[in-house]
Amino acid sequence: MLISCPLCGPRDATEFRYVDERRQRPDPEQASPQQWRDYLYVRANPSGPARELWLHRSGCRQYLFVDRHTLTNEVQTAALARTEGTR
Amino acid sequence: MTSSHRLPPQPGEVIDRAQRFTFRWNGRPYQAYAGDTIASALAASGVRVLSRSLKYHRPRGLLSADFNDPNCMVTADGEPNVRAAHRLVSPGMSVSSQDTWPSLRFDVKAANQLVGRFLGPGFYYKTFMRPQRLWPAYDKVLGRFSHGGYAPTAPDVDRYDQRYAHPDVLVAGGGPAGMAAAVAAADAGARVLLVDEEHHLGGHLRWADAEGLEILRELRAAVQAAGIEVMTDSVVTGRYDGNWVSVLQRSVPGVRERLVKARAKHMIVAPGLIDRPYVVGGNDLPGVMLSTAVRRLVNLYAVKPGERAVVLTANTAGDAVAADLGRAGVDVVRVLDARQDEDVVRIVGRSAVRAVECSDGAVVDCDLVVTAIGWTAPLTLATVSGGRAEFRAEAARFVPVGLPDDVSAVGGIVGDGSTDQLMEHATAVGREAARRASHRAVALAAGVPHARVTAPADTPAVAIPDLRPAAHPMLSLGRTDGIVDFSEDVSAKDLKSAVREGYDSIELAKRYTTATMGPSQGKLEGVNSIAAVAAATGAGLAETGTTTGRPPYVPVSLGALAGRSHQLLRRSPLQGWHDSHGAAPLYAGSWVRPDHYGDPAAEVQAVRDAVGIIDVTPLGKFDLRGPDVPDLLELLYINKWRKLGVGSVRYGVMCAEDGVVLDDGVTGRLGPEHYLMTTTSSGAEATYDWMERWLQTERRQWRVHVTPVTSNYASINVAGPRSRELLARLTDLDLAPDAFRYMQVRTGAVAGIADCVVWRIGFTGELSFEVHVPAGHGLHVWKALLATGSDLGIRPFGIEAQRILRLEKGHLIVGQDTDGLTQAYGAGLDWAVKLDKPDFAGKPELVWQQMRDDYLRLVGLQPVDGAVVPPEASQIVEDGTRIVGRITSSRMSPTLGHAVCLGLLAPHLSSAGTTVTVRLPGGGSIQARVMPELAHVDPEGVRLRG
Amino acid sequence: MATASHQRQRSRRRPGARFSAFGLLRQGLTRADWPRVWRHRDLAGSYDAVIVGGGVHGLATAYYLAKNHGMHNIAVLEKSYLGSGGSGRNTAIIRSNYLTPEGVRFYDRSVRLYEELACDLNFNVMFSQRGHLTLAHNDSSLRTMRWRAEVNSLEGVDSRVIDATEVARLVPQLDMSEHAHHPILGGLYHPPGGIIRHDAVVWGYARAADALGVHLHQGTELTGIDVVDGAVRGVQTNRGTISTPVVVNCTAGWASVIADMAGVGLPITTFPLQAAVTEPVRPFLDTVVVSGSLHVYVSQTARGELVFGAAVDPFPSYSMRGSLQFTESVAGHVLELMPALSQLRMLRQWAGLCDMTPDFSPVMGITPVDGFYVDVGWGTYGFKAAPVAGETMAELIATGKTPDMIAGFDLARFADGRLVGERGAAAVGH
Repeated sequence: MLISCPLCGPRDATEFRYVDERRQRPDPEQASPQQWRDYLYVRANPSGPARELWLHRSGCRQYLFVDRHTLTNEVQTAALARTEGTR
Repeated sequence: MTSSHRLPPQPGEVIDRAQRFTFRWNGRPYQAYAGDTIASALAASGVRVLSRSLKYHRPRGLLSADFNDPNCMVTADGEPNVRAAHRLVSPGMSVSSQDTWPSLRFDVKAANQLVGRFLGPGFYYKTFMRPQRLWPAYDKVLGRFSHGGYAPTAPDVDRYDQRYAHPDVLVAGGGPAGMAAAVAAADAGARVLLVDEEHHLGGHLRWADAEGLEILRELRAAVQAAGIEVMTDSVVTGRYDGNWVSVLQRSVPGVRERLVKARAKHMIVAPGLIDRPYVVGGNDLPGVMLSTAVRRLVNLYAVKPGERAVVLTANTAGDAVAADLGRAGVDVVRVLDARQDEDVVRIVGRSAVRAVECSDGAVVDCDLVVTAIGWTAPLTLATVSGGRAEFRAEAARFVPVGLPDDVSAVGGIVGDGSTDQLMEHATAVGREAARRASHRAVALAAGVPHARVTAPADTPAVAIPDLRPAAHPMLSLGRTDGIVDFSEDVSAKDLKSAVREGYDSIELAKRYTTATMGPSQGKLEGVNSIAAVAAATGAGLAETGTTTGRPPYVPVSLGALAGRSHQLLRRSPLQGWHDSHGAAPLYAGSWVRPDHYGDPAAEVQAVRDAVGIIDVTPLGKFDLRGPDVPDLLELLYINKWRKLGVGSVRYGVMCAEDGVVLDDGVTGRLGPEHYLMTTTSSGAEATYDWMERWLQTERRQWRVHVTPVTSNYASINVAGPRSRELLARLTDLDLAPDAFRYMQVRTGAVAGIADCVVWRIGFTGELSFEVHVPAGHGLHVWKALLATGSDLGIRPFGIEAQRILRLEKGHLIVGQDTDGLTQAYGAGLDWAVKLDKPDFAGKPELVWQQMRDDYLRLVGLQPVDGAVVPPEASQIVEDGTRIVGRITSSRMSPTLGHAVCLGLLAPHLSSAGTTVTVRLPGGGSIQARVMPELAHVDPEGVRLRG
Repeated sequence: MATASHQRQRSRRRPGARFSAFGLLRQGLTRADWPRVWRHRDLAGSYDAVIVGGGVHGLATAYYLAKNHGMHNIAVLEKSYLGSGGSGRNTAIIRSNYLTPEGVRFYDRSVRLYEELACDLNFNVMFSQRGHLTLAHNDSSLRTMRWRAEVNSLEGVDSRVIDATEVARLVPQLDMSEHAHHPILGGLYHPPGGIIRHDAVVWGYARAADALGVHLHQGTELTGIDVVDGAVRGVQTNRGTISTPVVVNCTAGWASVIADMAGVGLPITTFPLQAAVTEPVRPFLDTVVVSGSLHVYVSQTARGELVFGAAVDPFPSYSMRGSLQFTESVAGHVLELMPALSQLRMLRQWAGLCDMTPDFSPVMGITPVDGFYVDVGWGTYGFKAAPVAGETMAELIATGKTPDMIAGFDLARFADGRLVGERGAAAVGH
């Protein structure tokens, strides 16, 4: 499996670490126990297109938002988490 | 033994008659030529039986005479399961048969044949159930049915290796099609790697006529001229996501096996076709061979495979083998042409072929039966690449369809034709492969920022000539039941009866009978297994489908897969000193550390009474810079940081978002926007990831630079009442108690080394200074401390002494005194949690935990009988067996002279003064008292503040 | 009435179907066929319960519903063939030396059911209790083992910490040198642990459930669950619709996909778990050997193959193609333990899908949707639990009461913050 790191180029998946599904952290002051624990524990776990957070651990150490198909392991896009959506 | 069956020189032979030597087979000497396989050398001496079958121990001889031959598993020079028909024999080699007793010729377990009718497929599922107490004995008996050689017991002296390759085009298979494709790809500018399983390139051309041999010579020359990297005696064993291709290379000088990991831009699959055995009664008798086996023996090894032969043919290979046999002086007594509805009804014999019953009723005496009844396309590489196997009924074989863009197929698995047609097709595919590889290279380069990408010339796709499998009669199961899976000793009858029992799909029948699960993994027996299931269900082969092919394509040694050992072991710059001063090594995570230098208790005493130094280099260390560092620290730690002044340090604890204690350590403020953070050694990587995760995803606007500096510093903790005195001799820093207070940090020179970071902390409970020295000077400072402190009673101390010291002081170790569910309040960190901070990791859970009273708490415990140290993990029980807690840390305290412990305890027992029952692992139990503090020594902290 | 029921009972047990040595002898002599192990059935319009997943959990649940609670009108839906998922892909290791008292009790019940399973099902599942040995390479794993051994012994499970000498005696092939990167300091020895023929367990339950009237539908894929007013009304499949008040999700790696059809979110992520076997060699390894630090476990089957397993893959996926990385690392780790095995050859690798939960414990019982039950979150330890999971799930479905033994494994524990404490030891696995 190859992931195209926006900084380093295409690299083998073993250089990266899967972190989690890409999710929204609830406001810790407002969240009910149910909401907070959904955030902690419940996962969409899709069989198909997934939106994920990865870390290029043995590379540039950047967190990436990765869109990947979980049946084929094909990576559609990988974008820097640091800048994605801020531009 | 002399080579009684050796023929005069053959045009395509691969043996070197100038090099003749002896080897041993089951203890007796035999002759061989260089280039012989074990099996060809034995066949040349007239040896016909090479093994016994798995279940019935029937004698078995050469069948396919190549790597896949199921009857050729031998032990060679102690190596088990060697393929005798592939492995080249070497001078003095000692080869023996496997699982035969007392000998290959007279095998006691052949008696299993007598009871065969009771040992149908899965018979073991139906018996040995009662009485239950006898099952262990049955279990042992069933173990004897396992096959194979003996696993070696002595360490392997051979070397194994790995390497990477980055071919544009990788061609799996070096027959005419594979070679033509490789040459075409190389001519189109691609870097090509050509891999072939056999010892020589050429595939079936190696036993072709003079014209074929001439084409082969030209192809070999073209391969060489094109600068193609060729690996023979090598196999593409798997293709994984992203065209990550594994190649097993067997003939590398100095290395037994090498695993080549290739990132191919394009792969061409060209394995050729496999001659399919005919399933008919007696088909496993020695003397029954596939046409390709005979052609190999005669043409490559100049071996006469028999005296009187019957040939069953359904194709040109069968026709050609008759000609080969004639040339070899074998009497071809009958040729049965399946295309003319002629057939073999049964093959007769006891320990070898004696005769054949023909479909016209004739019984023909012979000692050799050769079949050429059809082809199996080995599709594993195609299907593991994402392709599917589609059955072509008119051609009587499966073909690959639906290959991904970066994988192509050439040669026999695609279709049939003359050598010219196969090469023409392969040449086009090779050119197209090169074109796609160059597009792929550009696409990959486009993913590399700042790479200069030249758009590929918009060359049109190469037109691929049509190549399809020729019509071929479907032959698989004959008129009588024979063996389908030779390795597993599974017959057509077994498969059919499994289907009738209800195991009526190919996967269930396979699992129930174990057909296709042996060493050849379905290459020879796959299609016949499907045919047997189809025959019993009444479905066609297409509906019955195939089993899922799995890598590796051929078995790979564990040595090659493992390669050389690349274990990372981190050593502090002081570790060499520890090694040479009697330190017992302690392997902790990726680090090796000094556990002790012989007497941990004395080391503890030195720290309590005088001064000791310990190498704490593995502590995780991070240089944090930027205006928003205080915000980051507030977020990561459960305690407060905003008011930490320059020159001060603080102990902090981190929790995960579920409130579970994650890590702890000391962080100091070196300058207005400059901090040095330490973490536990094992938690350093995770903490780094954790910090960056917040900074890169949740707090992207914060300006913080995190630099890991663990290995930039050698870290030395100088601990003990005389530590100040010692350090003062080596530094100009003002160490006076008022000038350098507890929990402060200074930067300066130590032992002449500038830029040391020194902070005053007290993990051991003593006055102590932790000195972070630029790594290259660590050893100098370490030695300087020892030399300077010799009159003060200095001793180096190791991890064990540190553990005792910190336990006496009641300092917890994350992961030992806490577990995967211990939240901050449970770890006794009430004093540290600041719920009035606006937000920090894990805050909601800690808010809720504070309102509960149902969690275990970390407490100090002291056994009532101070002489007994309850081992760590001793359980604390109530009412005899109910678990209410456990000892997390325990040691005999050299300072106090009695046992000291930390433990996690249920809330109703955790108040000071409560006596609890600790169950000892060896039996019995003791009483222990809950202490008012975690600290056993100096709970007031007088010593470390002194 | 009694007669009719009696006759129905008799018709379920087909003559000659019983497996025994005598039966083998008779069949061998007469060359008669054995009766079918299970029958093909038409899909009925309604069932009292529909169990999704024809693996060992689904089949065991169906069997115990029929056997212990007299519920016979049950369907098991399997999208492929019986046992095609994790049940046929696991490394067939059975043990009960867990870390928490509730875990130990639960798996101990499972081991006991396994011990009697061959007789109970009249199908030899070949449970070989050859002992299970987990190696300790450092002080902290030795400490965790002592913890496990103590909890085990309090629960009456045979499990003890042994020293390096005894480890070497049990498994002479191990490299016991003190300066190995992962020196072997001792181990946790669990004599009742062992290996089993996993397919036989699947087939045994299937055959016994079929004999009790359960309908086994292979090639039948669930496509939807009808939920009306918060309660299950029926299901849709590729072969038609079924009305039923009860749907049981026993689909392991696909648990989230099925639960999604009922609108239930799960604390589950699907990770592939890979395994591999070598070519057979003569029996030499009597014990199941596990190294948590090296993430590897090794056993030798009755066929002589060495079976290797490891931790789950590093990222979630529904792909079962497997990776080269796995074979490299598992081979490296095995050779670190047993260096003499370098010439042995890996024959086949495969993968299954594991439904991992945050606390390494299953999710069993009711859900917010009435009639929708889950028996999921089995991670890498589902096979070991199948009998007890089937038994307790059947009791819950039949009686409406959650058995004490699985009360702590409820779905609601996540929202309530009551996670199970297996996280420490289960990470070591197998």
